[in-house]
Amino acid sequence: MYVKRLSMKHFRNYAALSLTFQPGIHLFIGDNAQGKTNLLEALYVLSLSRSYRTAKDRELIQWHHSQAWLEAEIEKQHGKLILELFFTSQGKKAKLNHIERRRLSDYVGAFNVVIFAPEDLNLIKGSPRVRRRFIDLELGQISPSYLHHLGQYQKVLAQRNALLKEAPTHDPAMYAVFTQQLIDLAVPIYQKRFHFLRQLSRWAEAIHGSISQGKETIQLVYQPTAPLDEKMEAAELAASLAEHYASIKVKELRQGITLAGPHRDDVAIHVNGHDVQTFGSQGQQRTAALALKLAEIELIKEETGEYPVLLLDDVLSELDDKRRTHLLDAIGRKVQTFVTGTSLEGIDHLLLQSARLYRVKEGQIVREN
Amino acid sequence: MHYPEPIAKLIDGFMKLPGIGPKTASRLAFFVLGMKEDDVLQLARALVQAKRGLSQCSVCRHITDVDPCRICQDKRRDRSTICVVQDPKDVVAMERTREYQGLYHVLHGAISPMDGVGPESLYIADLIKRLEDEEVKEVILATNPTIEGEATAMYISRLIKPAGLKVTRIAHGLPVGGDLEYADEVTLSKALEGRREL
Repeated sequence: MYVKRLSMKHFRNYAALSLTFQPGIHLFIGDNAQGKTNLLEALYVLSLSRSYRTAKDRELIQWHHSQAWLEAEIEKQHGKLILELFFTSQGKKAKLNHIERRRLSDYVGAFNVVIFAPEDLNLIKGSPRVRRRFIDLELGQISPSYLHHLGQYQKVLAQRNALLKEAPTHDPAMYAVFTQQLIDLAVPIYQKRFHFLRQLSRWAEAIHGSISQGKETIQLVYQPTAPLDEKMEAAELAASLAEHYASIKVKELRQGITLAGPHRDDVAIHVNGHDVQTFGSQGQQRTAALALKLAEIELIKEETGEYPVLLLDDVLSELDDKRRTHLLDAIGRKVQTFVTGTSLEGIDHLLLQSARLYRVKEGQIVREN
Repeated sequence: MHYPEPIAKLIDGFMKLPGIGPKTASRLAFFVLGMKEDDVLQLARALVQAKRGLSQCSVCRHITDVDPCRICQDKRRDRSTICVVQDPKDVVAMERTREYQGLYHVLHGAISPMDGVGPESLYIADLIKRLEDEEVKEVILATNPTIEGEATAMYISRLIKPAGLKVTRIAHGLPVGGDLEYADEVTLSKALEGRREL
């Protein structure tokens, strides 16, 4: 799929803008704080209905304005898709092909993007929360029911935590009910995560192998907070979770918080059998992060039948020549890519010849070639 | 902006109603100012009468003007079935179907530890007592298909199932007259879960 047209009004620092694109690489060059990242963010928001930079939709609306509007025309294998998002201080509205989608889970998933930003290098080094968020966002794009289960899980989790906090007056039947609800929702989340990680690991292995020229092998290992095994069936998962919650009941009541479940798990990333988070060099960590992102592209293609759109926010300067070449090579001609940077320095000549070049300045974008 | 006190109070009063924000509240308040005095008096009386004249049925906790309520008094109704709902509004909805002939029990809410609503804040103890006294054979749990509604249904079922009663949960899934292709994935999988043999 590729973005054919992007239009927006009062989004971040853009008063009004409409650009048309083609398949291939699009380069946006400009100084800092001119709106390069905002442009990529617009595409990201159109895909997932929310931003990765802020949880507050209000911040997406241009200063001194009360509403923002985004629209994109996406060309897919099976035809055209029109996405529209409308933000006001009261909330947002999402439309797919001019029909309003009340539930955002009915909107998300039609247009897929993969973003690679400097903070993604944190994917390896950062806290487990960063890796869980990565899984949730990517899995959410290919499975709307995953998003639904996750949302429900978080609601039950909040209820269960509130219940555990009133431990002194605790009612065994209430504890049993909310634990059961938590397990019922945790099981499908685990099944989806295990499956996703298996697929992602397979792609990451191949890609990582080629970046490291066969010298290193990457492996993703899911680390659940309960004794679970990815080979377990739904009933076994539920039984094992029930047993585990029973074993930590006293501790949970004492601390007033749910101590196990998908909201506390992690993914370990091993290179040549060692945990890169602790033992890897910075270069190895970057290679691993890059391999994960490229694996994600292939995975979305495998699941949806089409390549997503790739957004590279200021990361070319973060990668050395070898990784940069590999990244752009891997993208080749198959993935429409939006790249931002502060200068053309270090960008491959061949790439420059085939790419479309734009200058970004104070919320204006001008085509250069 | 500052309003004279009487109108500020009126706006404040309207804002306590569901779905009414400051803008709508002030529009309504100014509308009331423009109404005929008779109409305003009638409205005020209707409000007070609705509040004073209606009470809760001492048996099923539905809102009523007589006690026990007309449904509980109705001799033609099937006394062996009780349908448990969250709100009086739900009784009205169920009655509209004209399908259901049994009795009701209104909980006035659903379990939600986050909001400090536990079983003791709902009329669950009353329900248990009714089940002991009356000749009930089946309890239909018709709380909403939300996390809180499900939790409430699970909780009640845990309490009463050991007594050997038939406990059922209303089905959720596809709307009647709906097209399969327009159903969202979650509703569809729920409907699949609750399929039955023909």
